[in-house]
Amino acid sequence: MGESLDSGALLEMLCRQARELIGAADALPRTVRVRAGEMSVEVEYSEAPAPPPAAAGQDGAPGETAPATAGGHVIRAPLVGTFYRAPEPGADPFVSIGDEVEAGQQIGILEAMKLMNPVDADRAGRVVDILVPDQTPVDFDAPLLVLAPADS
Amino acid sequence: MFETVLIANRGEIALRVARTCRELGIRVVMVHSTADRETWPVRFADRSVQIGPPPARHSYLNPAGIVEAALREGAEAVHPGYGFLSEDRDFAEICETHGITFIGPPATVIERLGDKAEARRVAVDAGVPVLPGSLEALGNAVEAKRVADRIGYPVIIKAVAGGGGRGMAVVRDGHEFLQVFRETRAVAQAVFGDGRVYVERFLETARHVEVQVLADRHGRVIHLGERDCTVQRSRQKLIEETPAPALPADLRARLGEAAVRCAREVGYVGAGTVEFVVDDENNFYFIEANCRIQVEHPVTEMVTGIDLIREQLLVAAGHPLSVRQEEVSPRGVAIECRVNTEDPDRGFLPAPGVLDVFEPPGGPFTRVDTYGRAGLAITPYYDSLLAKVVVWAPDRPGAIARMERALSEFIVAGAGVHTTIGFLRDVLAHPLFRDAKHRTSLVDQMLAVSACDAGIRTAS
Repeated sequence: MGESLDSGALLEMLCRQARELIGAADALPRTVRVRAGEMSVEVEYSEAPAPPPAAAGQDGAPGETAPATAGGHVIRAPLVGTFYRAPEPGADPFVSIGDEVEAGQQIGILEAMKLMNPVDADRAGRVVDILVPDQTPVDFDAPLLVLAPADS
Repeated sequence: MFETVLIANRGEIALRVARTCRELGIRVVMVHSTADRETWPVRFADRSVQIGPPPARHSYLNPAGIVEAALREGAEAVHPGYGFLSEDRDFAEICETHGITFIGPPATVIERLGDKAEARRVAVDAGVPVLPGSLEALGNAVEAKRVADRIGYPVIIKAVAGGGGRGMAVVRDGHEFLQVFRETRAVAQAVFGDGRVYVERFLETARHVEVQVLADRHGRVIHLGERDCTVQRSRQKLIEETPAPALPADLRARLGEAAVRCAREVGYVGAGTVEFVVDDENNFYFIEANCRIQVEHPVTEMVTGIDLIREQLLVAAGHPLSVRQEEVSPRGVAIECRVNTEDPDRGFLPAPGVLDVFEPPGGPFTRVDTYGRAGLAITPYYDSLLAKVVVWAPDRPGAIARMERALSEFIVAGAGVHTTIGFLRDVLAHPLFRDAKHRTSLVDQMLAVSACDAGIRTAS
């Protein structure tokens, strides 16, 4: 900066800018374009970050067993917290096995740092399994409940 | 002492902290993202809690998930490692309000030193020299240029909230100032959420020397000598050593005293680092203070025999430091090389992949801090530090020879995986490094020469 740059130095500067841009974001870019004539740095991201490598079961996590979820749709914990099946102690659970649920319908609560976070079904279906007992601490992404798709 | 400590970090530092906890009989809770589920630190821990998806914003930078995990697992304290939430005053405060001890300085100290303009003021109040520059953040570009014109070019514009070598730009000519000022402000706002910047003189050929300090809650503040971190690329450290080579003994003593004065001035508690630049006339200037354990802390441990993580835990638990200043007697020379999964032939771009082969060095006086294992998948979500190779020897030539031997043993291979091992060996072999005449410009000089050689090869 402050001096005229030859194209090599310009390219290096652009690469550095691009690296800084990439480093500042959480997601991996889909494409990175760096041009030297007229200068240009473009970093493009996909809508969603790449999914993590799949892994079965979570060894050692409390209250969890490897779920038998063949064919079903699994609703997972959106954050780390304590899972509640009912709106308050003694109340009826939000859902039970056999219930039909709609997309967006609340199926439980995750309490984290005294905040009650609703857990919603992200699609319609019939509840075929509930994998976590009431008042159980769960990790992020822990399987909570299995739905059979509504059209089955 | 604590019974259970939660480690809010990943990779080599998570394992490093966990090991000292284990030695002290402390139960370890590790939090991790889904990307790190299968890594060694998670397996090493007594308990683990998966707190979020791979992006750090939703896992390692998410205070709610970490505090929830600490409360659930009964952790009395949280060790933040470096990076992530280690210097986040809000996180320190959230921990304390939930009755969890944050292993680091108080939130108020993090806040003061995290504001780099304010940190300069702390140094001035402590009677420690700072580079000519502004003592306050400069909001107005024209006013800032007046300051720059007064102190003389080159100047460096730095984000008040910056860190990790980011959010700063050098201006070598006054005509460029206004534009670079606006760009740096925009970057600072985008990256740190705080657009405030300040200006200070930039030293083209300086040495980067930092002092390790330790302070407890009983009024004791000591230093453990200095580390030279002059070998840097884009302000990222590659090789660190202690003692700083080719520095007169009295200067090293004065650096240590200056660092202790800064720590006392701000009411520091825990392990911290005070960073200086040293010019060719052996003048030194405060540049910033870091409120965390540093990546390069092992070189200090190797020459002093003091486990810095243990001291952090002792201080956080309210105990006095285990050593007094007069008991600190560094011996010999230690060097650390940072092995990153980056490709030096492609501008040090991150080069992640699965490690099919991972054979770290061993042997006399050789320490490797790593979370690497054969089969480890290096993901692109986090920084590229794979391993720190640290050696000790009675003198500097011996330490360089030992490091050369250690790096020559280190084998890492996998599809798409590249490391900086070869480049580190080139630095070790460089005459300026061998003679300790190198400055912060060394790596750029080396890269310019190799780019030039490549150009000659292409042309012929």
